[in-house]
Parts: sequence; structure tokens; C-alpha cells
Amino acid sequence: MSGLPRAWLALLRRSIAGMIQYRGEVALWAIWGVIYPAVALTMWNAAARDAEGGAIRGFGPPEFATYFLLSMIVQHLTAAWDVHEMGWQVRTGHLSPALLRPLLPMWGSLSDNVAYKLVTLVILAPIWALVAWIVQPRFEGGWIDYVAAVPAVLLGAAIHYLWQYNLALIAFWSTRTNAVGEFWFGGKLLFGGLMAPLALLPPLLQTVAALLPFQWIISFPIEVAMGRLGGADIVAGLICQVLWTLAAIAVFRVAWPASLRRYGAVGV
Amino acid sequence: MPQIEAQELSRTFRVAERETGLLAALRSLVRRKHRLVHAVDRVSFTIETGEIVGFLGPNGAGKTTTLKMLTGLLHPTGGAATVLGCVPWRRDPDYLRQISLVMGQRSQLYWDLPAADSFEVQMSVYGVDRTDGRRVLHDLIELLDLGGVLKKPVRTLSLGERMKCELCMALLYRPRVLFLDEPTIGVDITMQARIRQFIAGYNRSHGATVILTSHYMADVTALCRRVIVIDHGRILFDGPLAALAGRLAPFKVITIDLERDVNGSDFTPYGELLEQEARKVTLRVPRDAAAGVASRLLADLPVLDLTVQDPPIEDVIGRVFAESARPSGAGTPADEPAGASP
Repeated sequence: MSGLPRAWLALLRRSIAGMIQYRGEVALWAIWGVIYPAVALTMWNAAARDAEGGAIRGFGPPEFATYFLLSMIVQHLTAAWDVHEMGWQVRTGHLSPALLRPLLPMWGSLSDNVAYKLVTLVILAPIWALVAWIVQPRFEGGWIDYVAAVPAVLLGAAIHYLWQYNLALIAFWSTRTNAVGEFWFGGKLLFGGLMAPLALLPPLLQTVAALLPFQWIISFPIEVAMGRLGGADIVAGLICQVLWTLAAIAVFRVAWPASLRRYGAVGV
Repeated sequence: MPQIEAQELSRTFRVAERETGLLAALRSLVRRKHRLVHAVDRVSFTIETGEIVGFLGPNGAGKTTTLKMLTGLLHPTGGAATVLGCVPWRRDPDYLRQISLVMGQRSQLYWDLPAADSFEVQMSVYGVDRTDGRRVLHDLIELLDLGGVLKKPVRTLSLGERMKCELCMALLYRPRVLFLDEPTIGVDITMQARIRQFIAGYNRSHGATVILTSHYMADVTALCRRVIVIDHGRILFDGPLAALAGRLAPFKVITIDLERDVNGSDFTPYGELLEQEARKVTLRVPRDAAAGVASRLLADLPVLDLTVQDPPIEDVIGRVFAESARPSGAGTPADEPAGASP
């Protein structure tokens, strides 16, 4: 093996080793990702029980259980946090060593991203199984839905990672990007379907959600796995995901060189 | 063909400034003051293959900014440069595989992992052939005496150990051009000497070109036959180390041995008295007047021996740095609306 695959696998091994060094902190971050879907599930279950017919727009306790269990899994597999990292790296000059290497710094950050997801699966898989045993989800999709959910999750992860990275490049102009990251997270909560299934949002918010990338990160893969979409909707959704991914790559190709022209390489 | 070529290379930073205090902070919300700092100001030089060049100057002179531009970390705001025929800030991977920057105050190593892990990643990232890489790593471990530190997390290493690991990391892929920014900062004298020997050895055995910045004159005198002195972003001197004193020190040092004690004698008519022992006197005299003063000393005093020398290189550089500490017009204040651009 040579070239980029060899380099990236070496970076991945390094990232996994680094994650294992800080396994306690990494575990807490991963568990935090379980907590807020669990809170949302509890609240929506209570609301559904009080609602007429025991359901809200077709979502009863079993549907909410399935939705938020899948939400835990999808939000973990599509997680990205570069908008928080990049600000620190630019402000302190810690980006410089990565810029001296003969490959894009993005590959190093991607190896951290994938390593986090792999390492924390050891902790999260039993937790997801436990949650499933407690909330008794109802999976109604066929095998085709589960197969289609795989590219939907992978493309969701690509969209989230690439758009976060593009957003992180704001750090070259404003230095601090944590607030931008919080805004992004808010968008994911509301328009991505983390707080509630998009079908429960008011029509205006659903229209706004349709114009933003968030639903392609969280809501779409969940709905595919739940078997709530027909074949044509799945294909159309996957095409939309590919377009959002290509758009992110196009933005990066313009924004990255412009960002480097701004880099001050402080503190070196 | 020169391996490194800089032509009128410049980098100006636009730096926000404000007075201290809450009122000034509030005022800066409406109207921000900026200052243009010419960190590197039309610097030109060429460096041939295999040269070791000392890049000297006081803090803030522009040395590191120049290195950052030559390694592709910074885009210049003016001028041009090529290293190995490449424009550094295009960051072509083939270019980055041939250069290395060792920064005394910034680590390439992975902080939480053993140094050996960093070396493995480095070889893969730079596409070093596995068999060759193992041999090169083995040699570097031997030369730098790294055997005892390979399995320790980098964060637990001493400064000297870490710097040796940085050098190992930087040389694993055999770069043709080595940029060393304060490579001996903070390490003890014995370790400094070892690092110097190692750099000289690498230069000899691989014909690598080396640019070195250091505040330790011992680094420069041991390694560099040529120095470039930079101050306020401009080159003050570029030439052989031996000629530095002649260009930048406008004085000579005359030492005389006398036949008998001359305690109480007044030497001020001859020059500035630097040192006086019983029969030995050291004077600093203006360079142009040195010959005349020497003649007068021989004529007036019972001189057994007389030497006329350039001042020690440390003194010359120290003098240049001290003079540079005086206020100057390097920055151009400018009132500009809020918003930043270099």
C-alpha cells in the first residue's frame, strides 16, 4: 500500500491510539450523544400518551422509540466537530505542523473523526442495545430499507463533516468559531430532526428545513431505516445527499486556498 | 542554479491596536486602529546547494516570518521566492516532501503517543519505503542516542530529548532543505553541542542545504560560514561570517603587552579602555583610526607586543541587536475602519 491510503491508515492508527489514551473523556462525549435523544424520547412519549388517539401525526410511543433510538445511532455515526477544533488551531498556530506535511490537514482531522466513531462503538453498542430493550422499538422496514440506510448514513456523515470543515474555515477570518459551531448544532437540533421528527414541525419550518443540509444528515437516514419512505423518495434523497456533498467539496476547493492566504501562522 | 532564491520578498501584517482600558475597548467597537507592520521588507538573497546559512537578528526582526514564507506556511504580500524550483506557498506535496522545518518552540510530534509512533506515521505520510525507512530510523536512533526514549509518551520527555526526537522526525524522509528555527533553544550546553554536530554531519553526508536561526552564537559560529543579518525586516548584512565584524562593527580591538606596569596611566587619548591588567591593556578604537592609534601606542609606550583584531562575533551581533532595540519607524500607523485583511 502506498500514497494516500497508506498515509491515512497510519493517521487512523495514530488517532485510535490517541483516543485510547483519553478513553475516559472520549467515553463521556459519546455518552452525552445518547442523553439528549433519550430526553427528547421521554418528552415526546409523554406528549403522545396525552394526545388524542395516543399518537401525534402518526407518531406513537413505538414510533418515537424507533425514531430516537435510530437518532442516537445516526447522530453518532455522522458526528463532526471541526468548527470547534479549527478556531483553536488557527488562533494558536497549531495548524502549522499539519500544513508542513504533504497532504491536506483535512485527512488528519478525518482520521480523528473516524477513530472516535470506531473506538466509542465499544461503549455505545451495548448502550444502544440496552436502550432498545427498554423502549421496545418497532422496525417496520424491509431489508431494502436497511441496505439503503447504509449509503444514507455514509453520505450524511460526509455532508456533515465537509460542511463543518467549510464552516470551520471562518476561523481564518474571525479566529474564534465556537459560537458558529453552536449555531450549527442548533440548526441540526431543529432542522435536522434531532429534537423532533421533521413531520411534526410547523409547515413553515419544514419549508426552511428543506432548503438546509441538516435533514440529509440526521432525518433522512433515520426515515430510510424506519421504512417510512418509498423507493422513489429514497433514490431522490440519496441524489440530494450526493449534491450536498459535491457542493461542499466545491466550496472547499475555493475556500481552502483563500483561507491559507489569510493564515498568519502565529506562535511558531 | 541557487536552491533558495528570494527576490524582494515582503510580508506586511495589519495589526489591530488599542489603548488599555474599558473606554478604549468600547471605542474600538466603532473605530478600530490598525498598524501596518512590515515584518519582512523586500528581502533578497540566494542560497546554493549544500550551504549552511545563519539567519540572525533580534526578536521580531523578521527571521521566522521569512522561514514561514519559504516553507509555505505564509503567503507573502510582495516579492517572489523559489525553493528547489518551487513556489513554497503553493504547497505542492512534492515540494513539501523535500523540505523540513524544525521549530524549537512548536512540535511535530504527537504529544500523547510514544515518539516511535510519531516516527511510524511520519514515514507513512512522507511515503518513505518501509525497508529504507527502518534503516534510516535505526541510523538516526543510533546517531541521536534515542534508544531510551522511543517508548515514552512525548509529553513526558525532557526538552533535550524532545528536540532530538524532532530532528529525527524531520530527517526521516531525507529532506534536501532543512529550515531550523532555534533548534537548540532551552537545551543544555552538552546537548547543544551534540545537536550542532548532528546538523553538520547531516549537511556533510547528504549535501543538504540548511538555514538556521538561533540566538546562540555558538550555533552560528560552529555551523555557518555565511550569515544573513536581518533587522526590522531588512537585510543588514549577507556574507561570510568572518567579514561580519568588518561590515557591522565600526571598531577594532587593540591589545598591547607592556614591559612594565602602567597602572594609573590614562589611555583615553588612544581609545575606549575595555580591560586593563598589570601589563596588558585592551582598547576599542574606531576602525579607520586603528592603524594610527597602533603607531602612537608603539611610539609612546614601552610595548612588547601589539595585536589588532576584529571584535568577537558575539559582541558584534550583540551590538547590532542592542541598536535595533531603539525605537524606529518600522510600523506605519493607520486609522482604518473595523475589518481585517493582511
